[in-house]
Amino acid sequence: MKLLLVEDNERVARFVKKGLTEAGHTVDHTDNGRDGMYHAVSEPYDAIVMDRMLPGGIDGLGIIEALRQQGNRVPILILSALDGVDDRIRGLRAGGDDYLTKPFAFGELLARLDALLRRAHGGANALETVMTLGDLSVDMLAHRVTRAGRAVALQPREFKLLAYLLRHANQVVTRTMLLENVWDYHFDPQTNVIDVHISKLRQKIDAGFATPLLRTVRNAGYMLTDQP
Amino acid sequence: MPSRSPSRSMLRLPGFSARTIAIGYGLVSLLVLAMFAAPLWFAWHTNVEQVRTELLKSDAEHLSNLFVRQGPPALAAAIDSQVHGVNDGVRKIMLFVAPDGAKLAGNLPEWPDGVPERDGLCRVTILVNGEPRNVELVTLTLEDGYRLMVASNLDRFQELERLFVYGLLGCALAVLLIAALGGALIRRALLDRVQGISLTTASIIEGKLSHRLVEPHDGDELQQLTHTVNRMLDQIEHLVTGVQDVSNAIAHDLRTPLSELRARLEELSVARPSPDETFAEIDAAIDDVDRVMGIFNALLRLAEIDSGSRRGGFVEVDLAALGFEVTEVYGPVADLKDIMLSFNSPDELKLTGDPVLLAQAVGNMVDNALKYTPPHGTIALTARRAGIGAIELTVADTGPGIPAHERTRVIERFYRVDASRGTPGVGLGLSVVSAVARLHGGTLTLTDNTPGLRATLHLPTSN
Repeated sequence: MKLLLVEDNERVARFVKKGLTEAGHTVDHTDNGRDGMYHAVSEPYDAIVMDRMLPGGIDGLGIIEALRQQGNRVPILILSALDGVDDRIRGLRAGGDDYLTKPFAFGELLARLDALLRRAHGGANALETVMTLGDLSVDMLAHRVTRAGRAVALQPREFKLLAYLLRHANQVVTRTMLLENVWDYHFDPQTNVIDVHISKLRQKIDAGFATPLLRTVRNAGYMLTDQP
Repeated sequence: MPSRSPSRSMLRLPGFSARTIAIGYGLVSLLVLAMFAAPLWFAWHTNVEQVRTELLKSDAEHLSNLFVRQGPPALAAAIDSQVHGVNDGVRKIMLFVAPDGAKLAGNLPEWPDGVPERDGLCRVTILVNGEPRNVELVTLTLEDGYRLMVASNLDRFQELERLFVYGLLGCALAVLLIAALGGALIRRALLDRVQGISLTTASIIEGKLSHRLVEPHDGDELQQLTHTVNRMLDQIEHLVTGVQDVSNAIAHDLRTPLSELRARLEELSVARPSPDETFAEIDAAIDDVDRVMGIFNALLRLAEIDSGSRRGGFVEVDLAALGFEVTEVYGPVADLKDIMLSFNSPDELKLTGDPVLLAQAVGNMVDNALKYTPPHGTIALTARRAGIGAIELTVADTGPGIPAHERTRVIERFYRVDASRGTPGVGLGLSVVSAVARLHGGTLTLTDNTPGLRATLHLPTSN
């Protein structure tokens, strides 16, 4: 995928660019708003990672608003040191697709970017009524889950959690993403409640099967996958 | 001193306004007096003159009729019976003379000088008992050259008029005096109180943040003002001590993980262990940084809540649904620790608030209870209506509880009961709950659950 990174902090930019390149993306980098704007309108990108506060006359939100006004629907992930709820809302209202507060773990950035790219490329089969992964099958309408033909009883929240993981199958999902999307919580609940919920879900869908589907990705989060 | 001039100009303003009040009061009083007196004066004046002239004329007519019908002796008798030959300045002046000018009856010794020859009404000055008097008189020449004069003493009325005018002037003077005195009193009262306010404010500017204005008990506008100012001062003091607490807390609680981190990295740099060990150390270092970030985020969140800016985003929140959801989120954690977590509430408990912050507050309360309750314990979450316009949410656990003397302090930032140091957490959980309660106009209280802690969130349903 071809990505544009607009970030003025050299060290952060180098770190992000290196990580994204290792993940198989092609990355263009600019360190100011003017060049960022120029690149964003003149070349087709699959996604843009945009710092919010930038030198060069136009800041991140300004660029996003200008792009959206031109009808450019490229997925944009905003990076910002401003973490108030209002800042987040303003960023998303300007036309950003996701918002990540600095400092961040690279795994978090990559996971969110992957989610954005898949959504943009129709990868997320959100509208399918029955989703399958290996021998796991989930009926979204009937709320029925089977693994290898055996019914698995899930509570509503566990079902929502599994559905979210399944929609992002073969993709790393971070704890924060789960908190925000499954529980709609925009704060850190201190105790790692997510881990406990995941282990309960794992008990129900993986216990007794040779290949575990729900895996922990070190330093990042979780992934639902049937690949070895 | 540069700080002097603003306080002096602050004092000049009420001085000016008190004088304006006094002058305005005086002018308005005078105006009211004039509005009251002018028509009265006019009515009195015209009426009295008219009545006097009418009376004179009718008297003269009556007497001349008497003369025509019954002759001079009857007229003389009638006049004498009216005035008894006396002129005391109160009774009418009457005189009846014969054609030769000799006095027949009346209370003047002779026909006075200066009275016109022609019959009719006139005003003249005549000598009465040797003193000049202003009179209005009617002269009438009767048959055979008899003459009749009826006069009324104008001085008597002018005296009344003078009394009226003097009364009015005295009244105006009294009004002005009262206005001046009232203005001075108002000015003094205002100055006293404003001076009190500015003195206290000045001492607060100098850093004595605990000073408060003395609130008068008469429920007037100034009391409202001082009350509002005192509330503002409470908030300022709260914020300032908050900042101080935070600086102290940062020094204490951030330094610890930061020095650990520094030691770890330094050791790594000096010892140069095997790659496996190095990576393990780096992961541990990242955990240290995350811990520091956690404290940092909690502090920012607290600052954001305390600033009150979140009030703009208040919406209707159902605390019953919110409590249920929190119970659901933490349920598996309680199961894991073999703790019985229950939730009790009516179907609906609506209030106006910030759903994210309220969820965080209730979450923190449950989280706190989970941290300190030993296995096989219970945590009971109860939400209920507490009278009209208030909701109460209680989290009661069977943990070790908090000693009475430490209960208020655990709500302070970073404070943790000494016995609990070493348990994970940054000690900001209950401060956040308390800040959220304050933002919603409510309170957080901690009581004994015998045994355990009972944390109660009191919230008004609307702000």
